Amino acid sequence: MIELQGLTKRYGDTRVVDDISLTVEQGEFCVLIGPSGCGKSTTLKMINRLIAHSEGRILVGGEDVTTLPPELLRRRIGYAIQSTGLFPHWRVAENIATVPRLLKWSTSRINARVDELLALFQLDADDLRDKYPHQLSGGQAQRVGVARALAADPDVLLMDEPFGAVDPLTRDALQVELARVHRQTGKTIVFVTHDMDEALRLASRVALLNGGRLVQYDRPAELLVDPANDFVRDFIGRADLGLKLLSRRRVEQYYQPAQGTRDATITQAATTHARPTWQVDADNRPLALIGGRLEEPATVRTDVNGEWTATPDMSMKEALSRMVWFRVTALPVLDDQGRLLGEVTMAGVMGHRP
Amino acid sequence: MTSPAVSTVGAGRVLANRVLVTLLIAGLAAAWLLPFASMSPNRLASGQSVALGGALTMWQAAGMLVLTVMLGLAALQRPLSRRLAHGVTLTASLALLLITLYALGDYAQRTLVERSPSARVSQGAAFWVIVFCCALAAIDTLQRHASGWITRLGYAALAGGAVAFLLASGHFRDLSIMREYANIRDTFSDQLLTHLGLVGAALGPALAIGVPLGLLAHRRARVRGTLFSVLNVFQTIPSIALFALLVAPLSALGNAFPFLAELGIKGIGAAPAIIALVMYALLPVVRNTYSGLKGVPPATVEAARGMGMTQRQVLWRVEIPLALPVMLSGLRIVTVQAIGLTVVAALIGAGGLGAFIFQGLGQYAIDLVLLGAIPTIVLAVIADFMLQMLVALSQPAGTR
Amino acid sequence: MTPRTMPRLAPRSVLLIVLGVLLVALVVGMEQLAPLFRAWFPDQNPAMYERESFLNLTLAHVALVLVSSLISVGVGVGAGLFVTRPAGREFAPLVSTLAAIGQTFPPAAVLAIVVPLAGFGFVPTLVALILYGLLPVVQNTVAGLGTVPPQTLEAARGNGMSAWQILWHIELPLAMRVIVAGVRVSVIINIGTATIGSTVGATTLGTPIIAGLVGNNLPYVIQGALLVGLLAIVTDLAFERLERRFSFGASGATP
Repeated sequence: MIELQGLTKRYGDTRVVDDISLTVEQGEFCVLIGPSGCGKSTTLKMINRLIAHSEGRILVGGEDVTTLPPELLRRRIGYAIQSTGLFPHWRVAENIATVPRLLKWSTSRINARVDELLALFQLDADDLRDKYPHQLSGGQAQRVGVARALAADPDVLLMDEPFGAVDPLTRDALQVELARVHRQTGKTIVFVTHDMDEALRLASRVALLNGGRLVQYDRPAELLVDPANDFVRDFIGRADLGLKLLSRRRVEQYYQPAQGTRDATITQAATTHARPTWQVDADNRPLALIGGRLEEPATVRTDVNGEWTATPDMSMKEALSRMVWFRVTALPVLDDQGRLLGEVTMAGVMGHRP
Repeated sequence: MTSPAVSTVGAGRVLANRVLVTLLIAGLAAAWLLPFASMSPNRLASGQSVALGGALTMWQAAGMLVLTVMLGLAALQRPLSRRLAHGVTLTASLALLLITLYALGDYAQRTLVERSPSARVSQGAAFWVIVFCCALAAIDTLQRHASGWITRLGYAALAGGAVAFLLASGHFRDLSIMREYANIRDTFSDQLLTHLGLVGAALGPALAIGVPLGLLAHRRARVRGTLFSVLNVFQTIPSIALFALLVAPLSALGNAFPFLAELGIKGIGAAPAIIALVMYALLPVVRNTYSGLKGVPPATVEAARGMGMTQRQVLWRVEIPLALPVMLSGLRIVTVQAIGLTVVAALIGAGGLGAFIFQGLGQYAIDLVLLGAIPTIVLAVIADFMLQMLVALSQPAGTR
Repeated sequence: MTPRTMPRLAPRSVLLIVLGVLLVALVVGMEQLAPLFRAWFPDQNPAMYERESFLNLTLAHVALVLVSSLISVGVGVGAGLFVTRPAGREFAPLVSTLAAIGQTFPPAAVLAIVVPLAGFGFVPTLVALILYGLLPVVQNTVAGLGTVPPQTLEAARGNGMSAWQILWHIELPLAMRVIVAGVRVSVIINIGTATIGSTVGATTLGTPIIAGLVGNNLPYVIQGALLVGLLAIVTDLAFERLERRFSFGASGATP
């Protein structure tokens, strides 16, 4: 979808972006990351020609970006920056309608699109439509900024540290929402950040830049388990490496069949600590765990509690955290009806290495 | 991030300084099209235009030509380096300015000898344009070079000193305006002192009233809105109307209490002028005192309080030193403004340099008008420059 | 217009309307006050300026200010735009300095200096007003355009606006408040300078003031000063309202 071929930007004799080549596939969420001054923002801005490149080629949807007038190109590519990029003299609805108005859509079509986008970002249209940007909270303003970038339904969305200026709680919420919007819309996103956790959380591919050069371009998990060199290792941070990796994994990649029984009188796990037994009801909903606790006899019975269960789309980091917190070596994995699909275990966390 | 600096080093560019080129073209066009001087056989007859070429000696013309070529070279990308071009522009524009001044005085002297002693030579439009362009070229170069205060002050002193030397040497004595000056020499210094005296007499009370009012506006939010609205009305009323409106009540006072009239409180004269000047000066003083105090970081004030300073100590040791630069820029505004408004005060008989202007307008004596107007402008510009330096110096060390 | 201010008029609007009505009433009906002035100044004869109607004087004054301000605004905003575009950026420091130094020149002195070049009457006053009125407009246009945040401009470019669209839809509306503040300063100064213009032969509301000062006729002075003072205050209040219109829901007025 987006292809950078030998992309270079020179200011005088300095090469701030130096011979970068990479391909972002359709629907991919590509995060450009690196220390400040590594050229990540410059790379992003060359894609919609806010900055002219010195050498190389940029293809979007197979077309060289230089074949189009820059204004027309930019109207086909969404662009979101920090919330200060909202136009302070336009109301929320006008801000969102920026590109559709440039494209001369009909009023009714624009209104419908604004409502659709406000709904997509779970913003209250009646309340917010006619507010000015400075009347919004940081999180609301940021959602409006992303909504504006999506307004004309572009295939590609460029985002330049969009969540850099909001508080950590709001940022968490915005990241969850962006991930959801990405899943729902299937847009190709190029996203610049300097925050590794944000990158690991959102990216389907991470491009790590340093000194204008592309150091590694990989899936987040590969970046973690197979860093190209010491710079990558240092940049990711050696601490919490295992947890970072688990944060990228989901329970559905790990869970195994569980041993369930409907025998209400069972007192001892059928096998060892490693394979505890689940007591289930008639609908296969887990009631209790027999065994499965470290340094306790295999006969100990723990009632299943809503908080120490797992779902297939939960991150493994979260599952592990719950095991530690509730002092069990296994969690039941439930489907959306609460039925037992399988289990994740401590041993499984250790043993699994895809 | 395409900064202009990047685009100017582009290889294809020929011009390095388009401002200088523009000024050169303006100066040359003026020299070509406008009269450099005007000559009349006596004070009453109307003048006849003299072009630049007709007024210069060969050496003067050659000098001006060389300097113009130097300035032209300095404006090009090559052959001079950027640094050298700056130096050349500063030197050449000052030299050109001085040659122009010298040539005008010299022409007047020569004409007087050739024609009759009653002939009058005045400066023409081209003279003004050339002087103006030279000054602008120098100012722009100083700005491009991001010169510091010392350089600017030194350059201004050099230029001012050279002009003052030419004036003092009597080189311009045969110029019409200087002959007019010779006629009024005694009253000129009196009126100049009156002018400065009026400005000083207005600034004292304005500060004495304005600073406490600014403090009040800072401390009491409720007073602020009304205070600023009232002071803004003073500033809005045209100066001459305010001066004139004060004439009525003051003359009434003077008529009712003759001893007040003896003290100078009467309809016309200095009293209404000073009162009006104070009223005008209040808004900038109060506003800048207020915004200076408002600009002091609350954390600093809190820290001072936390260390046990009394409110008075906080004011004198923390708030006022930090607010001083802004307060002084208020002083700068009112000083410049008062110098200008005092001109109008001449209309109600307060005297000052404005007296020459209005006297000259009445007699259609242009030289007299200029003798009032030019010194006023010079006064205002000098006051502005000096107070600007004071503002810069008053920045507390560490916040500069 | 925000709905909350619709039901009741702000006190400043009431002031504007009251003073505006007073101004019009005085301009049209000053002659009706003749008995009052005669009673106040029994020694003065005549006690009412009658060489020209106050309506004509006011119209001439307003026309002078209006024409000069329109030209000042046109040229001033144009110059401000030029030095903030890439093509003219090289001229920006010089123009800013010129505007700053020029404003230290006393308006009365500028008026006087124009006389040798343009003669007496309406024209030199107009020229002086245009020149002097330019400076605050240029200065505030440059300052106003400078207040537009760079992120806003980047967002505008990134959303595919052309340079022209950015100027028209983003930069000018956002700078408008500061530009209007500059026009306000310019117009108020011009109302004052036009008054002094009567000393170089322009017919304005300053004419009765000067006539009164020269002929020692206080009623003339009061009549002219009252009208021109009121004209300036009403104009200032009207501009204050206009400025507020460009605040886009942001708080408060400038002091």
